[in-house]
Amino acid sequence: MPAVALPATADWLAALAGEPLPGRRQEDWRFTDLAPLQAVAPQLWAGPDPFAHVVLPAGVTRLDGAEIQALADPILHATGSATAWPVRLNQGASPHGLALRVSGAAGPLQLQLDAGDGPGLLALQLLLVLEEGASFELLVRHASRGANATSLVTLVQLGRGARLNLGVLAAGDARASLLSHLAISQAPASELQLTTAVGGWGLSRLEPRVCQLEGAAQTRLRALQLVDGQELADTHSQVSFGGPEGELDQLHKVVADGAGRSVFNGAVRVPRQAQQTNAAQLSRSLLLSERARVDTKPELEIVADDVKCAHGATVSRLQQNELFYLQSRGIAADQASKLLLRGYCEEVLRELPAAAAACHPLQLLLPERP
Amino acid sequence: MSTATVGDLVSQPYKHGFVTDIETEKIAKGLSEDVVRLISSKKDEPDFLLAFRLRAYRQWLQMEEPNWAALGYPVIDYQNIIYYAAPKQQEKKASLDEVDPKLLETFEKLGIPLSEQKRLSNVAVDAVFDSVSIATTYREKLAEHGVIFCSISEAVKEHPDLIEKYLGTVVPSNDNYFAALNSAVFSDGSFVFIPKGVECPMELSTYFRINSADTGQFERTLIVAEEGASVSYLEGCTAPMFDTNQLHAAVVELVVLDDASIKYSTVQNWYAGDEHGVGGIYNFVTKRGQCRGDRSRISWTQVETGSAITWKYPSCVLQGADSVGEFYSVALTNNRQQADTGTKMIHVGPRTRSTIVSKGISAGHSSNSYRGLVQIGPKAVGAKNYSQCDSMLIGDQAAANTYPYIRSQQPDAAVEHEASTCRISADQLFYLQSRGIGFEEAVSMMVSGFCRDVFNQLPMEFAAEADKLLALKLEGSVG
Amino acid sequence: MIRPDAPLLLEIRDLHARVEDQPILKGVNLTLRAGEIHAVMGRNGSGKSTLSKVLAGHPAYTVTAGSVTYRGADLLELDPEQRARIGLFLGFQYPVEIPGVSNLEFLRVATNARRAERGEEELDTFAFEDLVRERLKVVQMDPAFLERSVNEGFSGGEKKRNEILQMALLEPLVAILDETDSGLDIDALRIVAEGVSQLAGPDNATLLITHYQRLLDLITPDYVHVMAAGRILRTGGKELALELERTGYDWVDQELANLEATSEREPVEVA
Repeated sequence: MPAVALPATADWLAALAGEPLPGRRQEDWRFTDLAPLQAVAPQLWAGPDPFAHVVLPAGVTRLDGAEIQALADPILHATGSATAWPVRLNQGASPHGLALRVSGAAGPLQLQLDAGDGPGLLALQLLLVLEEGASFELLVRHASRGANATSLVTLVQLGRGARLNLGVLAAGDARASLLSHLAISQAPASELQLTTAVGGWGLSRLEPRVCQLEGAAQTRLRALQLVDGQELADTHSQVSFGGPEGELDQLHKVVADGAGRSVFNGAVRVPRQAQQTNAAQLSRSLLLSERARVDTKPELEIVADDVKCAHGATVSRLQQNELFYLQSRGIAADQASKLLLRGYCEEVLRELPAAAAACHPLQLLLPERP
Repeated sequence: MSTATVGDLVSQPYKHGFVTDIETEKIAKGLSEDVVRLISSKKDEPDFLLAFRLRAYRQWLQMEEPNWAALGYPVIDYQNIIYYAAPKQQEKKASLDEVDPKLLETFEKLGIPLSEQKRLSNVAVDAVFDSVSIATTYREKLAEHGVIFCSISEAVKEHPDLIEKYLGTVVPSNDNYFAALNSAVFSDGSFVFIPKGVECPMELSTYFRINSADTGQFERTLIVAEEGASVSYLEGCTAPMFDTNQLHAAVVELVVLDDASIKYSTVQNWYAGDEHGVGGIYNFVTKRGQCRGDRSRISWTQVETGSAITWKYPSCVLQGADSVGEFYSVALTNNRQQADTGTKMIHVGPRTRSTIVSKGISAGHSSNSYRGLVQIGPKAVGAKNYSQCDSMLIGDQAAANTYPYIRSQQPDAAVEHEASTCRISADQLFYLQSRGIGFEEAVSMMVSGFCRDVFNQLPMEFAAEADKLLALKLEGSVG
Repeated sequence: MIRPDAPLLLEIRDLHARVEDQPILKGVNLTLRAGEIHAVMGRNGSGKSTLSKVLAGHPAYTVTAGSVTYRGADLLELDPEQRARIGLFLGFQYPVEIPGVSNLEFLRVATNARRAERGEEELDTFAFEDLVRERLKVVQMDPAFLERSVNEGFSGGEKKRNEILQMALLEPLVAILDETDSGLDIDALRIVAEGVSQLAGPDNATLLITHYQRLLDLITPDYVHVMAAGRILRTGGKELALELERTGYDWVDQELANLEATSEREPVEVA
């Protein structure tokens, strides 16, 4: 990683981003305390480029430098990502990059992005271009065992009829931060499945932004957030429809325990040209502790009249009737709760790309507690 | 069937747009500490109230106008508004016979007859014209039950202890920009006090009429229901058609003690501006109720059809154990109207319950936002909330936005939110038409059907009025 | 009941219609006189349902040629609600759900619109309740359905019964029942068929659109028409339906091919 001159002061992050850290007065950051990020030692992560030795499956090739900028800019523009603070920070930190072109039915790929136990900021950028009719399955695994921060910006362009199954499985450390911004543009008839599962980070902020450029595409979002201890997990998703007949099916699940904080903000924008959009968003939060807190806020902005847009949100404990049902079959309350909790998480985890099964995501994110 | 024809239907001339020609006493435009003192002295107020106003004014000076709502409007010049206007008549009249007939005629034209012969038999009315209350009916009958229903100016004189005890305790003067402004300059409004154990024998109603073109209206309403008391209260609002905007920044405070209940209904039909968005009322209102007592209950019902801009979130602070908050709302926007409305349900006490039913209808180029907060505090064990927000879109130029915040800190609480979007489908219209029901009536039936859950909450006397108001808005020529 | 001198109620002449840019009806001819029961049969996509919607004035369909005369007047000139008020009734194949609008209110408004057209006094809430309770018997419907929203959450059979209830209230002169038998179990079918038979009389005409014989076992038609590719291919008596039941629709393809070859458009009269 090239050397970057950093101010030794606490505002080194602001210096990298070229903009002050977002504060609580900004609506999008109101509930998000950046303290864990600010506690990271002011230096860039010193390890080797995690993308250096990636072996690409058939149908996937690297893009060259000249193409990258030309492809990245329209995606950033479509999703309005260029001005997002995590993107600016990433760009200011000279990220390691991997840029891939996928054609035809490509084999699956898994990327291990492990910040390890070392200090500093690990900045990474990933560009995926799926050509017309291409299909691809990618699992991105984040990990950390120390007081560091991972910043990943993922840019995806889905060509007409392309299909992407993208999974993010991130099991972190209470001292670590994860900032993951995903900007995805979809051409008509493309299908996106994005499944994210995040747990154990002192601070995590996921910003999936999907733009169906001309509508008529399918977007399926599945997310699971787990917080415990003093952790904070924040998901700010945004889906916009640039044309008619787009579909969105979004499920966001939360398990908040300990003194954990969960934040979910789900924006869905259906402008006038997006007639016959069918969008459904459901936010379900389990609040397991008296000290935990859940903040959830769907944002539906609709101008087209011939659309189906539904959203729902629930915040509660485990369902008493489900617990009772299991207990009435002889299962102890404790055991029943565990079973239900695991089932609750599995609903999202089983939608991760197939490669995830090998690393037992449930154990990774929800370790058996004493 | 094109939706454009449905859109045409929603447009309807405003029926309350006339101006009453009456001599008015106004003070000079602009706001300063002197103006605040002048208003207070004109009303001959006790010191505590002047102090309250001045503190609010100073707080206001330090505050910034909020800009977080999905609203767009030109900068308001607060120095270009008249803060006090009253029809020229000395003192409030003891008898209606002495009230200027022009005023009585105005209210009669609005469907609110005040005279002994014509007034509604089971509704007591406080009529507010520009900045002052001109008449309150049935005061004596209510007094027999110990119920106080009068203008807030009179209450300041006759019941200063109650005013001092409750005013500003639910909406503190520094609560928000518009509440601070109101606290500094409020002119009149209604005061209701229902003593312990009394069920108010009739519906109470305040009717607000803005008449002057350049006057702001800043009324203040305070309703207190003591232990076991109950009351149903309704406010109605209209204004003439001017091509300038008038500012309306009211504050409503409700206090409910143990086992008491207040049902507060609003039928808001301020002038909304024309189809190009010229003129109309800016309606920036703070309404909040505190369920202080155990098993107390507050129910807000609103039918919002007017105003160029509505910024309004009638809220409940549920402190008492087992207290209940309800919010039922219909907001209809058309042309260039903007509404940003919703509620806050703040669950503090154990086993508190709240229900939110919001129905937004957006037509023309209007924008209709539901913005709500359901907050479950750490002590609200067993709290429950259910929210339902439905939007109906008419035409493809109108916006329906939904922003339902939920914040929960109590695992043993259940919060549930549902929202949906619909339109009047061509199939439904055809079905009704094929049974001989005309186009206009078919649309009107579906819109009132959409709003039924809310209309059912209005007091009997006014449910029909609300239905009529909506039908009026839907009347017109079919394209 | 066929009476050659019975008054003409509906006369369809060379009717062509399309939906969007797709021509569906390609020259339909049909005459209904008072007292008659007609059945139109045909496969899916033959144009049966389109015919019913065009007659009722559905805005999605455009008439491109031909005429429809209802009791001497041009039916195609009228709005859907006007057609209903003067006595044309369409029983929908898929009755529409209208959340929030009470069934009772809907029935009352519709009934009064028809009554006003006939110069009869409008019924107030109480008088209407009496009427509706009496007519409920025609379809053996539970009065509880009156309190619900129009068709909302009704089962298939309940929706169809609600259609026949509307017919009983509106007392149409021409009733077109589009696949009224579809999705009904045997009991519901019997109730609906009895209702229809009860309402059919010497002064009105009924047009049953169906592709099964089973409805015609319960209501005996005077005429059976076979529709294919947007025209009426054959017209006969009730035995034509039985023949169809036996032989299926395969002969239709053959006949259509012959038609294409000769550009013949007039229906072939048999029996």
